[in-house]
Amino acid sequence: MKISFILNGKKKTIDVESGMRVIDLLREHLHLIGAKEGCGSGECGACTILVDGESRLSCLMLAAQIEGKRITTIEGLSKDRRLHPVQEAFVENGAVQCGFCTPGMVMTAVDLLSRNRHPSRDEIREGISGNLCRCTGYQKIVDAIEAAAKDMKEGDAE
Amino acid sequence: MTGTAAPRLDAWAKVTGRERYAADLYSDRFFWSGAKRAGIPHGKLLEVHTEDAKRLKGVVAVLTSADVAGSNRVGIIRGDQPVLADKKICYAGDPVALVIAEDKDILQEALDLVTFDHEPLPGVFDVEEALRKDAPLIHEDNPWGNLLRLVSVETGKGASAFDECDVIVEGLFETPFQEHAYLETEAGWAYLEEDGGLVVVATTQTPFRDRNEMALALGIDAEKIRIVVPYLGGAFGGKDGITVQCLLGLAALHTGGVPVKMWLGREESFLASVKRLSAKMHYRLGVKRGGAFHTLECKAYFDTGAYAGLGETVMTLGLEHAGSAYRIPNVTIEGSCVYTNNSVGGPFRGFGVTQVTAAMEQVVDMAAQRLSIDPLAIRRINAVEKGDKNCIGVTLTHSTGIKKCLAALSEHPLWMEREGWKMKAGQFKKRGVGIACMAHAMGYPAAVPDFANAKIELTMEGRFRIYVGIVDMGQGNASAYAQIAGTILNQDQGAFELVQPDTGRTLPSGSSSASRTTYVYGNALIIAAEDLKKRILDKALSFFKTARSQDIVLGPGGIGHREGKKKISLKKVAELFGETERTCKAYFRVPAATEMMDRIYLGPHIIFSYGAHLAYVEIDTLTGCIEVTGYLAVTDAGSVINPQAYEQQVHGGIAQGIGFALSEEYKVTEGRTDTKSLATYIIPTAMDVPDMVSIAADGVEETGPFGMKGIGEISISGPVPAVANAVADACGIRVPRNPITAEKILQALGKQNKQERPR
Amino acid sequence: MRDVLLPNTLDDLWEILYSEPEALLYAGGTDLLVKIRSRSPSPPFSPAPQRSDPLAFPLFRRPAPLVCLERIRELKGVHEEGALVCIGACTTHSEIIRDSLVSLHFPILIKALRLLGSPHIRNMGTIGGNICTASPAGDTLAPLYILDASVETRSCDGGRLMPLKNFILGPGSISLQRGEILYGIWIPKKRDLNIHHFEKVGQRRALAIAIASMAALIKLSDDGIIDKIRLAWGSVASTIVAPRTVEDALTGKPLTEDVLRDAMPLLEDALSPIDDVRASAGYRRRVSANLLLRLLQYKDAEFEGPGIQDKVRSTNL
Repeated sequence: MKISFILNGKKKTIDVESGMRVIDLLREHLHLIGAKEGCGSGECGACTILVDGESRLSCLMLAAQIEGKRITTIEGLSKDRRLHPVQEAFVENGAVQCGFCTPGMVMTAVDLLSRNRHPSRDEIREGISGNLCRCTGYQKIVDAIEAAAKDMKEGDAE
Repeated sequence: MTGTAAPRLDAWAKVTGRERYAADLYSDRFFWSGAKRAGIPHGKLLEVHTEDAKRLKGVVAVLTSADVAGSNRVGIIRGDQPVLADKKICYAGDPVALVIAEDKDILQEALDLVTFDHEPLPGVFDVEEALRKDAPLIHEDNPWGNLLRLVSVETGKGASAFDECDVIVEGLFETPFQEHAYLETEAGWAYLEEDGGLVVVATTQTPFRDRNEMALALGIDAEKIRIVVPYLGGAFGGKDGITVQCLLGLAALHTGGVPVKMWLGREESFLASVKRLSAKMHYRLGVKRGGAFHTLECKAYFDTGAYAGLGETVMTLGLEHAGSAYRIPNVTIEGSCVYTNNSVGGPFRGFGVTQVTAAMEQVVDMAAQRLSIDPLAIRRINAVEKGDKNCIGVTLTHSTGIKKCLAALSEHPLWMEREGWKMKAGQFKKRGVGIACMAHAMGYPAAVPDFANAKIELTMEGRFRIYVGIVDMGQGNASAYAQIAGTILNQDQGAFELVQPDTGRTLPSGSSSASRTTYVYGNALIIAAEDLKKRILDKALSFFKTARSQDIVLGPGGIGHREGKKKISLKKVAELFGETERTCKAYFRVPAATEMMDRIYLGPHIIFSYGAHLAYVEIDTLTGCIEVTGYLAVTDAGSVINPQAYEQQVHGGIAQGIGFALSEEYKVTEGRTDTKSLATYIIPTAMDVPDMVSIAADGVEETGPFGMKGIGEISISGPVPAVANAVADACGIRVPRNPITAEKILQALGKQNKQERPR
Repeated sequence: MRDVLLPNTLDDLWEILYSEPEALLYAGGTDLLVKIRSRSPSPPFSPAPQRSDPLAFPLFRRPAPLVCLERIRELKGVHEEGALVCIGACTTHSEIIRDSLVSLHFPILIKALRLLGSPHIRNMGTIGGNICTASPAGDTLAPLYILDASVETRSCDGGRLMPLKNFILGPGSISLQRGEILYGIWIPKKRDLNIHHFEKVGQRRALAIAIASMAALIKLSDDGIIDKIRLAWGSVASTIVAPRTVEDALTGKPLTEDVLRDAMPLLEDALSPIDDVRASAGYRRRVSANLLLRLLQYKDAEFEGPGIQDKVRSTNL
């Protein structure tokens, strides 16, 4: 099946089986390995991408569903080697340990900050409650998102 | 520079999704492989039927134990675990066949078509049942039935000293199996090179050891095996040893050079991977009226599941810490490490210490209560100092900062304002606080050589390449090495390239475990870097006509004269080196005990880190739900090389400990997993962990690189007892078996308040 | 691998269902796609697939296609018609949480949805999906029962309307005929309720399947008398439990602890909880009764509900 969509700002047309999981489409077909499979059943958030700006689990989406959609993956977040403020904040605040949850966590944070410019720490925790992390205990991730919110000016958010 | 919170070197690639983990390898042509798992806990394997699977279009091969040329056994101590089951099935995750297929769907179809005949055997699911004379035997060739190892230690007068105690408290404490639940499940990629060499990229904490195990098991020359290890997506001990490596290696032998990939689904990872050994611990603590601990008796059973693995060393390290961080002159400690058909026990951050600390720190509180002594005060009375003997009677000759930890805790607002906070509990809420101390030994036991080989190179571009000897599973040791070398060589972090562990390029340096990864490799690296610095300065001298060696100094990117303006770039200096001269290597061995080697199996440890934790807990009396609303951890891990990385470890351990305290239990019923996935095995989300305060107690470990010692594991042993003690403080209920669930609390509250009504 | 079809209109859908009557329908995928995964990977940890199981693919037959309903505009959105509000079956939980009509008229539904799953699951999951999955633990269900929700089904031939409580027959079992889909949920606007309560008990505070839950709508008079009350419990029987006996026992009485406790035995009779990996039946019984007492906290005018920023963090000493 031919599927056309916008991937990280660029038009794309691919030919894949309609029932292919979007996580597999990204990783195996498009060689975008940033989105990770941590569970395959929607329980961990490591596969999070943005679909029309909204965070979704690519392990529970099938290829046919992205027709005509605007897809953003972690690879599309930084522009010209300049990190997105959320990415920058993750690096500066020690929010990255093993890093496997990081792409999904960052995409979720970008969505969160696009809807809530100045979330409280509790709102941040609620916002990332679908992204499991086993390494950090979440605190530095919350610190990073709080810092990113402060740093972000109009127009930076997705 | 050390001491600064420099962001980790790996953060940029990870945050942009560019970092390639073992599961991220693909190529134009490759195969998928997967194992058929037994699904029964105990049985004689009679025959495996592979014909239907083999006939499926797209299946490349279906292999069984008959296709394994070597011993078909792994397990670093006992070698009792099959690569592919041959005679017996000992747990539900035992692999009986290996399928190689062209894509994932065909792989799944083929796996479903593999069946096997077996004769069911009665299973053993409880440690005490397993030790009965009539218990079914899991390893018939084991001379001690289902007992893997018995370890006992006695000091002073042992248990007979209870007669001299004024107060005795006791209890039976249990900790269940815990699942690592790393976000990245086990994965790998393997292929045969044209010269017959086998390359395996795998999620492993132990590349060099794996190579030897693979060679023996598969019947290949170890020299022909190369293991490459990318950054791991978490491991925490669950990737310490063979997981996918042998199966992948075996698969690669049958694909005619086409690479083969294996990536365990979450459910399969749950089923197959090792778990923290569950433990049953009978504790008796005898105390003198003034609060001094006098006698300790600990009788423990550790469930190591179907295979020995490292189970007996886990139990042994636990027993070595049975008395936590205290002086206790008379102890009788005994542990039985027992086979069952429950799962497979293995390393998990804390490595036995988490289990015993959960018990010991609760009896300490029970003793404090009996004596009407404040729980902090009783700990300060008994906390060890340098020069004391620890609870197995070994003298502490290295830095011993537990008293400093307790002092810092006692001065913190969270401790000082606890009563005021408790009184503000709202309707249907009860609040409590609890503390716990802990110790954690660094490195291997004395009989096991604990060393690293550092290798650092000045590249032709004038940069520095560190050949990382120990796998970075997320703890940031690779960045720490760059920070250490950067301090010695006076270079910015950007000057460093890191080569991740690779048996073809980096040098044997032991496992990524035992809280050793920065200490042992860091110490070796200091030697190598100093050596390299000296060589660079010697070579550079030739550029400065009238300078003496003390006149020139190595700085970022080059060498300059202290007083003059002349600078020479490292690139230029590199050109003066012969090929091998640009690389410096160094060996370092962790100081180990030389006395009392027979005090405990494999000998005692001598370097310990310490911690003191405080948990704030709020209980809802209508639901029994417990929330940890605040947490303080004070740690003695020597000097702090990178405050950010240090905190990362403390936070991460606390969060895993809170999970273990409140919600995590890997449940197995009659050898079958009940908690099959992340939907039913409950790890904390961001809403389940509070903001944590981490304080590094002042202190230096003289033998450590820049004064540090192990930090990776210590914090995980605090939460279970701190939370249990806080719960007891809040409502008078002690739950001796974690997780301390709402159900257990509500049931206990119900018993307690039969006539009363909740507030 | 199954084919996936993505109709844009209901007419497209009827065409598909005509030619593929075995097609499996989904909206967000957070239930169906998870079920499919748990059936097909290599057992042993799930029972071996049976030939009669429509999800057991790929072993036994040409797999039926999947049909994703998320693009069908007629199934999305919230609108009002006089005294009723209609929520399209394929409206996502996040969309409902943000909807002003729902916030105004049914705050209890918002409270429940905020506790459902996780942010991603709320972005993807739909109210229709939650209803059709018909899990006794479905977070939308207890609120919808006491909101007197009705469901409208449609097929190419027409439609039906029935109370939600008649639509759900048991765990995973709904009164949907072949060729029919759930079209929308109709809820009558409520007036003069002043307590809108939902509490969910789970093993953690997000990504949790309810062990027990309670929804309550109360009109409390100025002198603390329960003029009207509706109550429903989730996860404590094969379907939602909304016992009239308990409601009747509380109507006209003051909202006090004694009154609530006196009603508890009536609740006991209505529950039939089970033991499972998450909790025991005994716990579910005890906590369901206790959840009634939470209503006492509404006497404090500041109380908005459990877990709604009701935290006094230790750092705010």
